[in-house]
Amino acid sequence: MSAKWRRTFWSWAFLMPFVVLVLFPFTVMFVTAIKPATEVLNPTWWPSQIQWRNFVTMWEATNFGPALWNSVYVSVVSTGLAISVSIPAAYALSRYQFTGKGFFRQFLIVSQMLSPMVLVIGLFKLVVWLGILDNVNSVVFVYAAFNIAFTVWMLQSYFSTIPKDLEEAAWMEGASPFKALVKVFLPLAIPAVTVTAIFSFINAWNEFVIALTMLRRQESYTLPIQIFSLVAGRYTIEWHHVMAAALVATIPVAIIFAWLQRYLVRGLAIGAVK
Amino acid sequence: MKRTWLLSVAGAALLSLNATAQADTLRVTVAEYSSKTGPYFEEAATAFEAANPETDVQIEVVPWDVLLQKLTTDISGGANADLSIIGTRWLIDFVDQGIAAPFDSYMSDEFNDRFFPTFLSPSVMDDKTYGLPIAASARAMYYNKDLFEQAGISQVPNTWEDLAAAAEKIAALGDDVYGYGMQGKEIETDVYFYYAFWAYGGNLIDADGTSGLDSEAGYQAAKLYKSMIDGGLTQPGVTSNTREDVQNLFKRGKVGMMITAPFLSSQIATEAPELSYGVAAIPEGPSGARGTYGVTDSMIMFENSEVKETAWKFLDMLFEAEWRSKFTGGEGFLPVNKAVAAEPAFADNADLKAFAAVLPDARFAPVIPGWEEIAAATSDALQTIYLGDGEVEATLDGAAEKIDRILGN
Amino acid sequence: MTRSPFTNPYVLILPGFLLSAFIILWPLFQLGNISLSEVNRFGQIRGFAGFENYLAVFNDPDFYGALWRTLIWTFGIVIGSIGTALPIAIVLHEDFYGRGLARVIIMLPWAVSLTMTAIVWRWALSGESGMLNSALMGLGLIDTNIQWLAQSSTAFPMQILIGILVTVPFTVTIFLGGLSSIPDDLYEAARLEGANPFQLFARITLPLIRPFLNIAIVLNTIYVFNSFPIIWATTQGGPANSTDILVTYLYKLGFRFGKLGEASALSIMMFALLLFFTLIYVVLAMRGEKE
Repeated sequence: MSAKWRRTFWSWAFLMPFVVLVLFPFTVMFVTAIKPATEVLNPTWWPSQIQWRNFVTMWEATNFGPALWNSVYVSVVSTGLAISVSIPAAYALSRYQFTGKGFFRQFLIVSQMLSPMVLVIGLFKLVVWLGILDNVNSVVFVYAAFNIAFTVWMLQSYFSTIPKDLEEAAWMEGASPFKALVKVFLPLAIPAVTVTAIFSFINAWNEFVIALTMLRRQESYTLPIQIFSLVAGRYTIEWHHVMAAALVATIPVAIIFAWLQRYLVRGLAIGAVK
Repeated sequence: MKRTWLLSVAGAALLSLNATAQADTLRVTVAEYSSKTGPYFEEAATAFEAANPETDVQIEVVPWDVLLQKLTTDISGGANADLSIIGTRWLIDFVDQGIAAPFDSYMSDEFNDRFFPTFLSPSVMDDKTYGLPIAASARAMYYNKDLFEQAGISQVPNTWEDLAAAAEKIAALGDDVYGYGMQGKEIETDVYFYYAFWAYGGNLIDADGTSGLDSEAGYQAAKLYKSMIDGGLTQPGVTSNTREDVQNLFKRGKVGMMITAPFLSSQIATEAPELSYGVAAIPEGPSGARGTYGVTDSMIMFENSEVKETAWKFLDMLFEAEWRSKFTGGEGFLPVNKAVAAEPAFADNADLKAFAAVLPDARFAPVIPGWEEIAAATSDALQTIYLGDGEVEATLDGAAEKIDRILGN
Repeated sequence: MTRSPFTNPYVLILPGFLLSAFIILWPLFQLGNISLSEVNRFGQIRGFAGFENYLAVFNDPDFYGALWRTLIWTFGIVIGSIGTALPIAIVLHEDFYGRGLARVIIMLPWAVSLTMTAIVWRWALSGESGMLNSALMGLGLIDTNIQWLAQSSTAFPMQILIGILVTVPFTVTIFLGGLSSIPDDLYEAARLEGANPFQLFARITLPLIRPFLNIAIVLNTIYVFNSFPIIWATTQGGPANSTDILVTYLYKLGFRFGKLGEASALSIMMFALLLFFTLIYVVLAMRGEKE
């Protein structure tokens, strides 16, 4: 037991500088968010009084609820779409040798190389042509497509660690390849799929440039755009609202992290096989 | 075929755009000045829809910083709105490319007469009116009365020399109090310099169509600013201070003087109500020349709009005194309608009076394509000077050369 | 073995391929088209321009400064974040009290949109009203305010530091995923043979997380190279273009100055540059794997 305590001490000591750096901006957000409006511009760390009410006024003033819902919708649906087309592709890459395999992998990397900033004009014309402008689904569609490269890569790396024997055994017993995939392979791959899905979810949750270009009415704004619109060029910026909004937007993702990190434990992917 | 397939892949087909195909849909892009802008236009849209039940008005609120980007993508994709707010300094590009439609055929004399000509004229090109001034402001000098009193300054500076002297006295008050708040970052860094440049007799574009930066006026104004920075009369780190940063310092009572637009008054009223301040004209130069910057934002109508009649009806309503007064008061701008200016809330406002007094000296951004690039070249040169990375003359000469190239000389 | 569409790899990769091809190739074609055309300020094509747009970019002295800083920016952040993330991931992989909490804290920057993080840092770095100066002064580390963003000599390193800070969570998570896929028995067997921790790392951990290391390097290079919000929100590439990288320069060119033709040409050039670097890396990494 004392070995673990010693390890605990050294681990935290090692992580401490980074933990401080990470928490610094969050502390800034928090302290600013609870300051009374008249004190926001003073860089003090101890406000004269704590105003929890700021969170309530922020919620109303910034139209936070609908934006939160849009963000959740966009992130969940685009992740679902990306994962459902990535699983078969990653499975093919990890299980089969075929002509064009190398090309497909390279194509996926290359597809990541154009920054959204560069592509906005082309993407915008595409969305106009499809007739889904100012529809949150346009964003869903683009996010899913952008995430495919990453999700296929990640899934393939995990899938390759799952031994082939079990599917082959299922085939021997007469199961169809589809059945083997769904009944035998996928259950083993669940941790990998979960982790990858969360990457995709976070990318969509935080994406900014595409949402800014495609969404035009406040009702369809996602959280990053909604918060950005509070600071971008207004003549007066209500910083306590901005910081409160940014902080609250972090909470759902932080909860996901707390849940995700359990899947990142040694042997989980493999352990299930045994 | 492909379209339907893609849509079903993308999820539920919520085609809100087609939902109201029967009625006239009027789309309006508005730039967000403050948290009041969106609600104001929504209210106007509701009122308009009540009076015109067959019309659906869609307000699209866009943050100022990305307005030009969004208009560019919209126009390139052929998906622009029917009406939009733009910075009047961009208008020439919209007119040159045939994107903005002239209003003349709709404008009656009565309508024309609602405006102060000073604010309407920047949107007139080739004798046609392409924009209606939705917002207008000018710049004047704000000063902190308490700091003036502590430093023993009884007279509000009238010349730039007085200003430097007053700044020196205020700066001597303490380590964290600064005489003259100076902007050195981001939008309007160049304008902050023009206040002095104009006073010394400079012109942005000389009579021969070349840049006026490489002139005696340019050198003098830049040297004045540089000496104030070096002498500790300004806040430190000028090149990291945007207009908002300097305004924030002023609100906290840390800056003796600064030059900015009337909206600072409404900000002070809510954020720093106990601050005691005054508004005065921007100081004059050795020859008595003076200049303030006038800015308008215009509402334009797109040439490709299919609902121009409806769009005009909406504009006619927006530019009535009642709606104008609400907007102007809420956002802290100068009245562009004569009727609004006569209302007691505006006519009796001491700060606005000070701004109205400087209007005759107001200069607007010159009507030339590529103005944004010229402004950026000027700001870059000024930052180089403020940082001490370049000699005043050489740096301004280099900027002038660059500007001449942009101007096509 | 039964024949089935589920054993045909082409059928399996088709949906993913189509979806990503559609969203990449069409806009890419548009971009190439604009870069060779005369376009007006609103992206409407007015005629053929040949390579004029490309030449205009090459003739702009600001381009070379931005290019150089992009290289420093990219390599600085990628090397910095990999170098920080690997030890952090290894520590976070050990079993200690509060590990779950530590993991959540380390991943936290990733939970905030980059734009927002950049805005918060700008607010914190402000010279006279910034909470960083106020904190450093409270701790007695400085006695006058530092004007972080006033000159590139302090602004640019700070921006790289923020870049590292926001890249580490993603990288740590990839590494943790990689570490978690290494079976325990490998370590046990090696320990029985008397391997020390360093040998365990060099012989087992490093080779086995290599694919994940490669993912992290390639993807981070791509993302950082194209990363816009940190620099834009803190300095907009200023003062006097001294913190401009290619993406911010591109943004000014395209959306501020309305030179969409030149901006498109620059995008194509950036794409080619990134492709070049990635190819070199992939070739090197593959050679390394073979050895």
